[in-house]
Amino acid sequence: MNEEQKKAVLAKYQRALQKGERFWPDSLYKDLIVSMGLFLLLILLATFVGIPNEPKADPSDSSYIPKPEWYFLFLFKFLALYGQIPLLGKIEWIATVLIPSAVILGMILLPFLDQNPYRHYTRRVLALTIMAVFVVSMITLTMMADYPTAVDEQGHLTLPTWLQMIGGLLIPGATYLTLLVLAALAKKLGAAARRAQIGVAAISSVLMFGLAIAVMLVSPRPVVAESEVADTLAEKFALGADLYSIYCTECHGADGEVTVITGVEGLEGREIVAINNPDLMYTNSDETLANIIAYGLPSLGMPPFGKAYGGELGPSEIEYIVTFMRYSWDDRAELPADAAISSIPELAPGEIPSYEVHIAALTKRYCLSCHRPGKENNNYLMTSYEEIIGMSDNGPAIVAGDPNSLLLLLIQGQEQTDKNGDPIRAMPPNKLMDPKYIEMWKLWVLNGMPKTAEDARTLSPTPSP
Amino acid sequence: MWRKLYQWLEERLGLSDLYKSLLDRPEPKGNWWNTLGSASLFLFLMQGLTGIFLTVYYTPSPDHAYDSIQYIMTGVRFGWLIRGIHHWGASLMVLVVFIHMLRVFVTASYKYPRELTWLVGVGLLLLTLGMGFTGYLLPWNQKSYWATTVGTAIAGTAPFIGEFIMKALRGGSDLSALTLSRFFAAHIWILPGLLAALIGVHLYLIIKHGESAFPDKDD
Repeated sequence: MNEEQKKAVLAKYQRALQKGERFWPDSLYKDLIVSMGLFLLLILLATFVGIPNEPKADPSDSSYIPKPEWYFLFLFKFLALYGQIPLLGKIEWIATVLIPSAVILGMILLPFLDQNPYRHYTRRVLALTIMAVFVVSMITLTMMADYPTAVDEQGHLTLPTWLQMIGGLLIPGATYLTLLVLAALAKKLGAAARRAQIGVAAISSVLMFGLAIAVMLVSPRPVVAESEVADTLAEKFALGADLYSIYCTECHGADGEVTVITGVEGLEGREIVAINNPDLMYTNSDETLANIIAYGLPSLGMPPFGKAYGGELGPSEIEYIVTFMRYSWDDRAELPADAAISSIPELAPGEIPSYEVHIAALTKRYCLSCHRPGKENNNYLMTSYEEIIGMSDNGPAIVAGDPNSLLLLLIQGQEQTDKNGDPIRAMPPNKLMDPKYIEMWKLWVLNGMPKTAEDARTLSPTPSP
Repeated sequence: MWRKLYQWLEERLGLSDLYKSLLDRPEPKGNWWNTLGSASLFLFLMQGLTGIFLTVYYTPSPDHAYDSIQYIMTGVRFGWLIRGIHHWGASLMVLVVFIHMLRVFVTASYKYPRELTWLVGVGLLLLTLGMGFTGYLLPWNQKSYWATTVGTAIAGTAPFIGEFIMKALRGGSDLSALTLSRFFAAHIWILPGLLAALIGVHLYLIIKHGESAFPDKDD
């Protein structure tokens, strides 16, 4: 920009000031309105959306799929897609360092790179179209970020990944090049070049959005691994109770009372300390208990449960179990009055139990200890609705509406025999469930085993409020 | 009485000069898009204020960080609100700063004589992203732990100096208590300090050159 142009710019600005307004109060009141609006929005978000709860960091759990803040997702997806480019994709630093640095450098140097003295949008087609394509590619990369960049067994890209590659890398890359070429040809082509630039940017934006939406439609829904996270002491206690009954009852009994292990392969007849003993609670801090659960006591036969040592539990889950133990057996610890001791919901009069609300809670407390993968259970798993209504080695465990279903007989303490004439033990093996829970099971099976509370309500003769 | 007090202060502080140079400035005809800069400033101040409250209860150690945040959410009166505002304010600030940058780009306000304002603005955008990145680790939950592991590993892929950058960020070869205290220091002292200083320069430049006028057909 030469001196004359500079003078013209400044003179024009002075004229704009003459026709303009005062900072106070004309502009400031607009600023205040917008800021107050944002403040209100923040309060609403904090109150009604809140912050999703996450489990405590577990450095040993490398299976966790990391996810950055949403405003870094586009970069994350870009890196993932770039890594799939043959040859070039192996040189990581091009995508992680070189390209981002170039973009940042471009932004920093923008006022010096952009020598075009004009400001009105009709005279800045190149700059605006490049920025538009850039923003659209950021948005579409973010849209695709939750969908995996997958390869099939032969190492070829899957169809959704191809779509991602085309929409996320190929189209924006080709568009930038075309825009620059058109700009170089602008002198020859004149206004036609400008129209072509706008057309190219518009078409590629539409294509990018279309491909992103296509990816969202054809990709399998991303699996979100859910682990339950407790906020309050009561929730910790309830989750701890469930975890205790899945991982600990087999050896230690439902109330930590066992002193001689029975019915556990490899540990049959081993003498152990009853862990519901208050002395044990007095002499072991929460930290010690957590460490024992995590490391196990190999010399005494207790396996490690912490993920870092080959078990299945993360630090948060171990903490919940310790909370459960502390508040159950340490007579110095008292649960707050509002804490719900049981995580199993009661039935309202006339209510029909459903899998999601009642049966899932019951199986957690009484069945999953053995009826989960890797345990001896006649191939009858109970970790999901489909598994519970599915087959075991002894045929279907439950049949909707049948009061003589195998499972119902077993939980009522009636031992059965399988097709080889061997006995099937009553369940749960050591102590039957509370009679009201047995009733709950019966009611559920007789009413056709509804899965959701919604299904159960439609069955219910007197709909519960 | 008030008049006398005002006179006394005026003589020593020069209030009316301040009023003229800061508030009673002439401006080109305004536009709602021009409020985004002040909105970013407002969000920065909100983040500062809520952040200061949060440091009262937050403990930057791997053993206590997670629990101290649980305590803020459940044990401290209105702790959930303060943290909620800080959490959402971070996202909103990135969004508003980014849209502000787009607005400046679209109206070409970065051109003469406001090149330096843009330059400082790019610094502010990067620092805001840095605040987001360092703040993300502080709750010390699964998400933040593994996102930071990946984020710092990405820095580690730089040729020659990558290894050094990664170790400097992490304070060792793995994420540890040192990483957390480094990120905490960066999040509450280093980056906000730089942000505040650059905001000062940014504001000075805006007052010096005035808000840019919306371009018309002749621009």
